Amino acid sequence: MFSPKTKVLVVDDMSTMRKIVAKILKDLGFTDITEAADGQIAWEHLTKSPTPFGLVISDWNMPNCSGIELLKKVRADEKLMKTPFILVTAEAEHSQVAAAIKAGVDQYVVKPFSKDALLSKLQSVSKKYAA
Amino acid sequence: MKLDTEFINPFLASTLQVLKIQAGVSAEATKIYLKKPGEKLLGDVSGVIGIVSTSFNGSVIISFPRETFLKVMSEMLGEVYDDLTQDILDGAAEITNMIFGQAKVSLNEKGYGVQMALPSVIFGKDHSLLSSTQGPIIVVPFSSSAGNFFVEISLSK
Repeated sequence: MFSPKTKVLVVDDMSTMRKIVAKILKDLGFTDITEAADGQIAWEHLTKSPTPFGLVISDWNMPNCSGIELLKKVRADEKLMKTPFILVTAEAEHSQVAAAIKAGVDQYVVKPFSKDALLSKLQSVSKKYAA
Repeated sequence: MKLDTEFINPFLASTLQVLKIQAGVSAEATKIYLKKPGEKLLGDVSGVIGIVSTSFNGSVIISFPRETFLKVMSEMLGEVYDDLTQDILDGAAEITNMIFGQAKVSLNEKGYGVQMALPSVIFGKDHSLLSSTQGPIIVVPFSSSAGNFFVEISLSK
């Protein structure tokens, strides 16, 4: 389902982590990557972009608007609700995983993570949306 | 509050794991010691995160000498960095965040109720940080393939 042209939004308040995720995506062949420093900025991109984003990869723990808040807004929006959404977080507690699943996350990546770990999650999400 | 292995070990284990997985840097802890009052941080770039839980409060700091930090960032980001620019300084906070996140899971499995927190970065030669906690501060020096660095853990009830 994903292709090199898939428009990807990478959301993280840490520029270092945005660089890490963007680099992995570029290594995997993605060419259309937009970065946002928090959920509010990400929401602006999502709602104002002339072409829809085909994937959101967002950090959970951010100031202003967290990743889970962004996810809930996306799932509640008629136009955006089917956007594939991956949460990236250093928090891997069962209660949080459960909250993310309840909010409609497609996959959950726990930091620290390798390129292979992210690829595996991308493949899983890609399969889900191709089905 | 007694800083015993039940609190320290999750931070040490997660430090090793984070650097190995995210930066490909192998590290090992050397001789742990108690920090003296007024002693400055040993690195030039430090990530700091406060710990708030139902059982204790405190902080975790990971402090890198300049050269170590540049090597770790170069490994993490896949390109060579030879200066402490603004766009890589938050890497210290991100590393701290990951270490804290991993340790938090382990501590909360034991019922400590550690809450989420946002990290910050301090940088500059001979910088220091005043701890608001009254407990002892443990310093764990690490040697690694990128150079030496230090983790400071302070906890108090």
